[in-house]
Amino acid sequence: MLSYIAKKVFRAVLTIWIAVTVTFFLLRLLPADPTLLVIEGDMTPEMQESLRARFGLDKPLHIQYGLYLAQLVSGDLGVSFRQLAPVADIILARLPWTLLLAGSAFLVTLLVGIPLGVHAAVKRGKAVDKVVQFFGTTSNAIFVPSMAILLLVVLGANLALFPIGGSIDPDTRGVAAYLSLFHHLALPLFSLVLVQIGPYALTLRTNMLEVLGEDYIKSARARGLSQRRVVWRHALRNAILPALTLMGLQLGTLVGGAVLTETIFAYPGVGRLIYESVQQLDYPVLQGAFVMLAFTVVVANLLTDMIAMLLNPRIRT
Amino acid sequence: MKQSHARLRVGAALAAAAALLLSSCALNEGESDPAGTAAEGDLTLRIGTTTDVANFNPLQSLSKTDSWILNAMYPHLLRLDENAEKVPELASGYETENDGSTVVFTLRDDFVWSDGEPVTADDVAFSAQAIMDNQLGNVAAKLTWVENIEVRDDVTVAFDLSQPYAPFAEGVGFWMSIVPEHVFSEAGDLTAFANDSDWVGAGAYILESMERGQRYTMRANENYPYAPEGGAAVQTVEYVVYPDINTMLLALKNGDIDLMGNPVPSSALGGLESDPNISVQSVDSLGFAHLTYNVTDETLARVEVRQALSMVVDTESIIATVLQGNGQPMVGPISPVFGEFDNPDLEPYPFDPAAARELLEDNGFTDGDGDGFLDGAQFEMICDQSNANLTRVAEVVRDDAAEAGIKLDLACIERNTFLARTKDGDYQIDLSQWGVFDNPMDQLRSTYLSSNPGGINYNLVQDPELDALVNEAATTLDQEQFVERIQGIDAYVHEQALLTPLYVEQFSFAYRSDRFTGFQPSPSDLLGMVTGYSLSQVTAAE
Repeated sequence: MLSYIAKKVFRAVLTIWIAVTVTFFLLRLLPADPTLLVIEGDMTPEMQESLRARFGLDKPLHIQYGLYLAQLVSGDLGVSFRQLAPVADIILARLPWTLLLAGSAFLVTLLVGIPLGVHAAVKRGKAVDKVVQFFGTTSNAIFVPSMAILLLVVLGANLALFPIGGSIDPDTRGVAAYLSLFHHLALPLFSLVLVQIGPYALTLRTNMLEVLGEDYIKSARARGLSQRRVVWRHALRNAILPALTLMGLQLGTLVGGAVLTETIFAYPGVGRLIYESVQQLDYPVLQGAFVMLAFTVVVANLLTDMIAMLLNPRIRT
Repeated sequence: MKQSHARLRVGAALAAAAALLLSSCALNEGESDPAGTAAEGDLTLRIGTTTDVANFNPLQSLSKTDSWILNAMYPHLLRLDENAEKVPELASGYETENDGSTVVFTLRDDFVWSDGEPVTADDVAFSAQAIMDNQLGNVAAKLTWVENIEVRDDVTVAFDLSQPYAPFAEGVGFWMSIVPEHVFSEAGDLTAFANDSDWVGAGAYILESMERGQRYTMRANENYPYAPEGGAAVQTVEYVVYPDINTMLLALKNGDIDLMGNPVPSSALGGLESDPNISVQSVDSLGFAHLTYNVTDETLARVEVRQALSMVVDTESIIATVLQGNGQPMVGPISPVFGEFDNPDLEPYPFDPAAARELLEDNGFTDGDGDGFLDGAQFEMICDQSNANLTRVAEVVRDDAAEAGIKLDLACIERNTFLARTKDGDYQIDLSQWGVFDNPMDQLRSTYLSSNPGGINYNLVQDPELDALVNEAATTLDQEQFVERIQGIDAYVHEQALLTPLYVEQFSFAYRSDRFTGFQPSPSDLLGMVTGYSLSQVTAAE
């Protein structure tokens, strides 16, 4: 079991290293130049050189890479080109918003998606099942920005039920502040959940159908256990395992969705930070954000693997 | 079953609590009590912006959106009025000595830093010296000629130049932010100074607080000398970040903001006209859209080819369709925004693809393979795909050029790649838009001198005659003669067809006219409605 864990951890570290390396070189292979982003093109070659030196872009690529790795290992994410502030501070200031949005989207997705899948499996072929199947396949195909703008126009502008963008009304205090927080969270949360929920519902449905056909379910039924107990305790416990793996995998799309959602809803999270940093070619911030995301996704996958191992002894060997 | 439901509920509650805790530390903490901030009748104006402030150090190169906030906070010697003319701001005036080799600014004595220190000539000298020493941003280029800075007294500062340069005072006066010496001299390395808290300014509005990703709150400076009698009506200016322009439009319609800092896209203007609460103010651009030809290309080096290309560009219909009328045509490289400098005698190249084809055929081009295109008349035209207007222009020009037997291959590419390629001269035809030229002399110098001092001679032209014309104008002090010489260059470049100007865009700024009135806009989207001066003149609508 220890060797299993060690193998998984080693693979996680390797993945993070690859992510760091690919990000580093990808940014530098862009046919673009961060020193050119000024209002006026009026800039002498000397000024450009001095900027390049200040950004550390004047050194050979492999030296830059070596310096960056050394810096990372010592826990330093570097200093932003544009903001001149430590990258770690910049990201940490935005992180709580993304955790709130992506975290609650993740929870709501599970709390709604799993029961939907279970119901669809139990009522196989009935109306519920058809609706879930239709919805499950379309959910993944929704284009987040169009969905987001549609929600804003209809529910925000026309019906005035929700605020247009932002994360909280700065003039609220105490309970009102929390209400304002949730009020602003509702639409971006809804958009994210909508595109996330399909795969969970469908996976759960398929797994449940499989499990419900197993002998031990038949025998449980034969023992006279109630339908509820059979479905929710005996079947779900086994059907949920593959969904665990899905959680780790879906985290990546959750982050991708957050970039778009945060941008359209003017939500101040890390996703939007990435969007802005791409426009400004702020390499250190981009690298820092990607390292952090890679780390999160890899650790989440590691954790789901561990949980799966605890739940399913067969994996251990 | 009951048990599992209960567990689920406990789990959900725990998760919700955890989420709350995570963010509760940021829940409007550190804000003063809202009831205490605003006195009776004080107005708050909320402005939408697409991006966060990246850099708070006004001595460095700034983005447009950074400039909106920082220009309102730090004074400039001169400002640009609604007619694109430089008028006094911190300087009450300037004059030249030694045949133009010394430029002397006289300052007003009533500008005060927000910490109570007066703004003096020492601050001006410090700011200029710091920019020169550290080669900071584009202002360093404006200071190229400075050999010595002399502070004569508290309100007088003199710049000794290596040679007279006609628009020196205007360029430095308009572009250079003046910073408080007593703050910035304590900051250490100014190339690394973030200046992101405890701001000390002397402009119309001073930044007071910010929540990155969300809003930037500025308070009126009660000592700002240009505020109306009794102080500015707008006491608080709040910039709110909406990365998506469509979201910002909705926020304006809903009344969440009062003004859009970014111009409204032409395509969205129709939707605003019907709204009785919203008005749109038009402002000229200080730049212009153009086709620029790389003359190091063998074919494009021939003037007849460039002239033929100029004849396949239908500016009139481009302005009518792509800009929906929100723009004006121009002839030659000098924009009509600069009034007297724009040569009135220039005739535009007619839009006439047939004549263009004839011109090329007269100069030896033939369609040998019968594909409808003249052999050798094939060019790659690059453009910035983030500029929606220009990507549409590209298609219009390509189709019209085809009628003249010219094959244009479009390469509308990602903005940063586009910038890098233009910088490297890696293109044949460059379809792009100049952002801000504040005076024609700087523009001609940067775009046409062989020595390419500003790095934006995108023609890569090396023409001794043109060099001589530009250098002669640059040292001309007599205004009438100066205007004449600029007009002469305008005509020369037009005849050479080094570029085909497309249009001077009109930016449309939308605001809540049911709440506010009295903006004093200046040309360009760099200044627009949001200069400190403009905001300080705003009052509540009736």
